[in-house]
Amino acid sequence: MGRKFLTTTLIIIGLAVLWVPPVAAEEPVRVAILTDMSGPYAGICASNVDAVKMAIEDFGGMLLGNKIEFYYRDHHCKPDIANERAKELYERERVDIIIDVPNSAAGLAVSEQARLHKRLFISVGSGTTEHSGSKCNRYTFDWAYNDYMLATSVGLWGADNLGKKWYTITADYAWGHDLFKNFTAALKKKGGILLGNDNVALGTADFTPYLLKAKRAKPEVLVLLNAGKDANNATKQAVEFGLKKEMKIIHALIFVPSIRAVGPEVYADDYVAGAWYWKVDTPGAREFADRWLKKFGHRPNWMNPANYSATLQYLRAVKRAGTKDPKAVIKQLEDHTFGDLFANPGYIRPEDHMQVGKAYIFRAKRPEEIKEKDDCFEIVGTIPPEQAYMDPKKTGCRMGGF
Amino acid sequence: MSQYLITQLLNGLIVGSLYILLSMGLTIIFGMLGIVNFAHGALYMLGAYAAYTVVGVLSGNFLIAILVVPLAIGLIGALLETTLLRRLYRVEPFYNLLLTFGLMLVIQDAVRIGYGPEGEPFNIPGALLGAVNLGITYYPKYRLFIFAITVLCSVGLILFLERTKVGAIIRAGTEDSDMVDALGIDIGKVFTFVFGIGAALAGLAGVLAAPIQNVEPAMGMNFLVETFVVVVIGGMGSIIGSIIAGLIIGETLTIGVLIWPPMATTLIYIFMAFILLIRPRGLFGRAEFLD
Amino acid sequence: MIMQALMDKIRETPSRYIISVLIILFILLPFLTPYTALASEMLIFALFAMAYDIVLGYSGMLSFGHAAFFGLGAYGTGIMLVHLKAPLFIAMVVGVTLSFIAAWPVGYLSIRRRGIYFAMVTLAFAQMLYFIAFKWTALTGGDDGLQRIPRPSIGPIAIESELSLYYFILIFVVASMLLGLRIVNSPFGKTLQAMRENENRARSIGFNIFRFKLFAFVISALFSGLAGCFYALLLNYVPLGSMHWATSGEVVMMTIVGGMGTLFGPMLGAIAVVLLRDIIGSYTESWNLIMGILFMAAVLSFRRGILGSLRERLQGS
Repeated sequence: MGRKFLTTTLIIIGLAVLWVPPVAAEEPVRVAILTDMSGPYAGICASNVDAVKMAIEDFGGMLLGNKIEFYYRDHHCKPDIANERAKELYERERVDIIIDVPNSAAGLAVSEQARLHKRLFISVGSGTTEHSGSKCNRYTFDWAYNDYMLATSVGLWGADNLGKKWYTITADYAWGHDLFKNFTAALKKKGGILLGNDNVALGTADFTPYLLKAKRAKPEVLVLLNAGKDANNATKQAVEFGLKKEMKIIHALIFVPSIRAVGPEVYADDYVAGAWYWKVDTPGAREFADRWLKKFGHRPNWMNPANYSATLQYLRAVKRAGTKDPKAVIKQLEDHTFGDLFANPGYIRPEDHMQVGKAYIFRAKRPEEIKEKDDCFEIVGTIPPEQAYMDPKKTGCRMGGF
Repeated sequence: MSQYLITQLLNGLIVGSLYILLSMGLTIIFGMLGIVNFAHGALYMLGAYAAYTVVGVLSGNFLIAILVVPLAIGLIGALLETTLLRRLYRVEPFYNLLLTFGLMLVIQDAVRIGYGPEGEPFNIPGALLGAVNLGITYYPKYRLFIFAITVLCSVGLILFLERTKVGAIIRAGTEDSDMVDALGIDIGKVFTFVFGIGAALAGLAGVLAAPIQNVEPAMGMNFLVETFVVVVIGGMGSIIGSIIAGLIIGETLTIGVLIWPPMATTLIYIFMAFILLIRPRGLFGRAEFLD
Repeated sequence: MIMQALMDKIRETPSRYIISVLIILFILLPFLTPYTALASEMLIFALFAMAYDIVLGYSGMLSFGHAAFFGLGAYGTGIMLVHLKAPLFIAMVVGVTLSFIAAWPVGYLSIRRRGIYFAMVTLAFAQMLYFIAFKWTALTGGDDGLQRIPRPSIGPIAIESELSLYYFILIFVVASMLLGLRIVNSPFGKTLQAMRENENRARSIGFNIFRFKLFAFVISALFSGLAGCFYALLLNYVPLGSMHWATSGEVVMMTIVGGMGTLFGPMLGAIAVVLLRDIIGSYTESWNLIMGILFMAAVLSFRRGILGSLRERLQGS
């Protein structure tokens, strides 16, 4: 019995040794996207996988003499799954960079894993200002937008153009509060007044008590600091109770899929900020949008070119560095000005690793104004990056070394 | 001031209506079959999607949806009972609870795969748009319609249970199913029928909710645990309990958020724990359920 | 020939040999899994599921609030490490103690009820704790979770690397398994099982059912808290979701799939569920669908779970 046992154990250990993957001679560059493919934001984020793949293909598919390897994983918008997947990607698949990760808690978790594993992470989807603030680190970059940009750009514009008496309804969690802080700061800067605020639990289906409160306060602008199905419910009910006849509505974050989900009548004449739209005059944007329409049957939402851009700029940085060593690539990204179909110009700030560019203010079109598929927005204003993003000296980021 | 308060109270009434429909279904399922139906929220969601399919995809009208969809969901419920739930009657009741938990995951994900995660548009039917002048205030016509349907259903269900022969069998079966079986009545068919009715009520709630909420795969999750709370507080197996508790919870959630926003939802959990500890049979339930 | 000998051995006094096989499996696990952090996750949930079986399988109580104890262990340890920069040992003790302390009042109030009512009360309490964790952002990070949890060394033992963390966890898990085995085979454990089978008879003999159930509940919470401590260390982070009732649902799933009432079956269930979730999650977005179907199949056919079915089949023949 003892010898059989020993033999079996040795065989098992022998098999285990075979699991250790062979060390390659020349390591290829490995790009991974971790995003929400089946959770609450899948309608917007799942297509980012295609955007990253497209960027790799457009780049040529090869880098430093090897084929670029591509990985994608689903984190269902859950931070603990994101944490596990990040570990899996960095440890087992040995990826050099993870891109996207919507949901702020998930983004922060992956940022920490990037720091621990000393690999890159470009956050596109998660909006928390902490990425370029108190939780910044040398290995993490924040691309396309953050809550400050969303709130401040449409906040400043809205106070000037729509009215200075506001009422806010805030999704009661970290993201909502972050937005609230930034929106009210913008309002204050323009000398406006906040008539009231309600914190509403995530996943609330019935917004009518808050909407009635808001109606009673008689604001000029109602600001809905939520997204996805919460925004859908709130706006649908706001229409039902006739709020839109008495005030304008500003949203924190709205994409075309949300408008498709409830119908343009619901979001008509509402305002929101964004980083891109398929009709902007950024060179390359329209071709990208046409390609996307041809391939997928609808236009891209602005997360798609944002992920495309992050991928492309990373690959270009590796090329410039001549190596995929994280430190060298990071140095190439910092203080770099670039132009691509997403941002032209775009700039990566070395102080806080925030990629800054123009912000756009959109008005959602009424159904009769929509002449072609997915043309749901009209651009009514632009905010330059100096105003749209916080002064890098004030973000609270102390960018350390490696 | 009073106009505002009246409107809020009316809102609570409408939220309560949806809870009433949902919890009446859940409570008779528990009362008769002893199953805590975790899939109840998913059946509600199916009702909303079925309404979308009838109106949005097949270009039917809302009236057809209201008549046809509950029937369809009821049939689905009956099917689930005969094929799956029936097998676990002989073992401890929580196995069926777990089975319906799994069912909830499957149904929700299947709808997500089939229809997409973002949701489907569904608008208030034209004939029910606008507001009604109630003297003190104006109130959306459609929401009053929801209330009217709920009243009709509740009265109908109570009459059905109290006045008809089938209703009597169901009431007897809730008290003592073995006895009913011994009297020669096919208790299996009664079980299936009751589960079907419960499912139909959930489906009806879904149809009614579709115009005023975002129709998406996880929409049942918002209501599920709160519906349990209503059923526990009202008393498992009691229709009257569901009605009263549904109204209480509807008003608590609506008015509660105005008085003390952070605590509104937790308040009802505390309430449920309180009831469970002090008077577990709920307001109108029967003591036998305590086993 | 080897299979025959194996079957015979399982048929005999099962627990002693099963524990040996499991321990060997656990020792080799990091080399059998695609990446070490996954093995650690399996081990953590195996411990959690074993703890849960004490309450479900051995005492017949369906608790829907165990995520609270798991979460308290995780947050307790995390808060000590992040906010107070405490040594690792102290942080772990605090985590486990928090779960232990919370279990007394929750158990005391909940065990007054049985069956579905018990489940509902535990759910209610767990939701209240979840709400506290959600609101007390200064302490817990709220929705963002508790970030940047370090992995300090205990004296000469460093747990920075995934592999060393794994074996550190393993020591405690093995100790817990041996302890757990001792408990269920003790007079206390045997009485619990007798109560589960026929509560009225046990009561008529004179046993204080309430006290037995309460002790089982508290012991279960203690081990759940320990599992939570390791979770915080593994992730370097505590997600708010660790306290949500969906996590309670997960551990129920693992226990049922593995085989309730076998103490070690749930550990296999946990390994299976974690592995499947990882594999399925990597290749498809429809993992809820697949997990749901598997779970339903487990409930319908494997009511006794993997280990229980295996035992039944072998004992029957």
